[in-house]
Amino acid sequence: MTAPQIAAAGPAVPSRLVRAGDVLAFEWTKLRSVRSNYVTLIVAAMATIGSTALVAHAVASAPTPPQSGPVTALSLSFLGYAEYAVIPVSVLAVLQFTSEYTTGLISTTFCAVPRRWAVLAGKAAVTGGAALVAGEVLGFASFFLTQAMLSGRHRGVSLAQPGVPGAVLAGGFVLCACALTALSLGAIIRHTPGAIAATLAAIYGLAALCLVLPSPWKDDLGRLTMPFAAAQVVAPHPQPGLLSPGLSMLALVGWPAAALLAAGLVITRRDA
Amino acid sequence: MSLPPGSDVAIPVVAVLAAFDVWCLVDLARASQARHLPKWAWAVAICVWGPWGGLVYLILGKDRTAASVPGTAPMAEGAGIAASGQLLARRVPADPVVIEVDQLTKRFGPVTAVDALSFTVRPGQVTGFLGPNGAGKTTTMRVILGLDTPTSGRALVGGRRYQEIIRPLHVVGSLLDATAVHGGRTAWFHLLSIAQSNGIGRRRVVQVLEATGLAAVAGRRVGEFSLGMKQRLGIAAALLADPAVLIFDEPVNGLDAAGVHWIRQLFQSMAAEGRTVMVSSHLMSEVALTADHLIIIGRGRLLAASPTDRFISGARQDVLVRSPRAGELAGLLTARGAAIRPEGDGGLAVTGLDAPAIGDLAAGHGIAVHELVPRHASLEQAYLDLTDDSTDYRAGTSAPERTTAS
Repeated sequence: MTAPQIAAAGPAVPSRLVRAGDVLAFEWTKLRSVRSNYVTLIVAAMATIGSTALVAHAVASAPTPPQSGPVTALSLSFLGYAEYAVIPVSVLAVLQFTSEYTTGLISTTFCAVPRRWAVLAGKAAVTGGAALVAGEVLGFASFFLTQAMLSGRHRGVSLAQPGVPGAVLAGGFVLCACALTALSLGAIIRHTPGAIAATLAAIYGLAALCLVLPSPWKDDLGRLTMPFAAAQVVAPHPQPGLLSPGLSMLALVGWPAAALLAAGLVITRRDA
Repeated sequence: MSLPPGSDVAIPVVAVLAAFDVWCLVDLARASQARHLPKWAWAVAICVWGPWGGLVYLILGKDRTAASVPGTAPMAEGAGIAASGQLLARRVPADPVVIEVDQLTKRFGPVTAVDALSFTVRPGQVTGFLGPNGAGKTTTMRVILGLDTPTSGRALVGGRRYQEIIRPLHVVGSLLDATAVHGGRTAWFHLLSIAQSNGIGRRRVVQVLEATGLAAVAGRRVGEFSLGMKQRLGIAAALLADPAVLIFDEPVNGLDAAGVHWIRQLFQSMAAEGRTVMVSSHLMSEVALTADHLIIIGRGRLLAASPTDRFISGARQDVLVRSPRAGELAGLLTARGAAIRPEGDGGLAVTGLDAPAIGDLAAGHGIAVHELVPRHASLEQAYLDLTDDSTDYRAGTSAPERTTAS
């Protein structure tokens, strides 16, 4: 006796992994299909490399080194990077949410993927991943450029020296941390100018504010802000006056993690 | 691609371990006194990260076969419209899907946009969702689509909340605002990204582009599109997964005459295939020809829900009577229980008696009748009467003149 074949109603339910892949592909296509994102990255790269070269040239051609030692030589690599890469990449990250909110495209996004935590995770993975790759590429490029210009004067450091590879790798991660913080603030604030202002305040403003606090607070809180934590993780040795390398890395992970958590709580509770 | 049960748990664990591994590597490399990373560290990194490439390929590589290059299809702009009927009817939904809105209330601060609204949208017919501006149509649709959270009550699609539907575009296709697109993205990438979000292949993207007549402009940025082209793009996005439910908010705005004709035919063929089609409008004339069923709301409350043909037969009707002895006749009619309203030009609008009864009455009393016309209110007029009291924003200060009758 044969039972009649009954066709399955609708497509089979895909596994969670496949759906995660869907969201990643969704966000990746959106990121790569807007020309201004490429322009932003190229501007960030050119400004970073250019300013790094200028700083390195100034130091290399000075009659006497202002301060010798591997610390200075290494941190020089990140001077251009700290501002000229962080700002454009943060703006790019902010726009991932604010451009959807201002055009109304966010409704389409949430209709396609109603689980908003998944949307946030997808955007964070794609934007954070792109920022991480850009950060590592720019970090190593800045490093090699600076050291190439300094080594002629015997003022450079080599990647073979202890702590140096980790410091350069961590320097690339700084860009990712800034981008994820910016992405979250974009999701919370929704308007591009406000979100960019808040991002710059979170990345640079808090550290500047801590500098003018009364004495015990000044150091205790200042060390937790992103610029000071970043200064520690891009140095080859523990720096006086800063948190330990591990705690600094934790602070650098903590800021974007807290921002992402806040963004997730806000977008899941608010009408799209 | 199918995965063994339990992989849902295993994969996040592996991901966390991998992230920890990277952190350890960075920390080790940073704090290490060794001149280079030890060889075992590289071995661990390669072993952990190597397989991920293959995994990502498996996830992202599906549905990538037979992708045709966008924009190269030899398709005239209007040609796709004619072919749409067959192209889009890829599969008739096995299970008809009903939209149920149950005691739905949505407040925005002090403003009640939707007030205890209940209705059902059934498959196999086009349902017109009508109401004046500000009646709560868009809010209701946004709640159905899970974009807004209701203050109380609920809206279900096929017995589930929208947020609970997995790959929802396969069940519900929607178009709320055609201008809500990123102007810097091409039509192709706009549709491709939406398709990818629900596991839909590239071939289908090409298909809907052709069906909506956009194949020739697929490579152009959406910012250059006219409103009508954006509407078509939005419709293309709604049709991507061939859903059983279609929800459109004011879809006719910005379309030219051919486009309006096309979209009406599209709705009717979709409904004929057993799909659920819900179309909102603030104009009766837009949906009167298309909709089989009408749901009319005003100030967030349900005013009427009935089939279109019954809606019009239930509307008021009267008889226009002209007579040289109008005053005398009016007295007789009133005595028989009819309601009389004098028209401006000497005619009488009579309700409560039909034309033969009025004619017989006049003949019985020897009153000459010059004109005796039964009149039905138009669908438009019936709609205006219904929503008159619930219109939020109206030009002028007085109620609109009721010229037909009352």
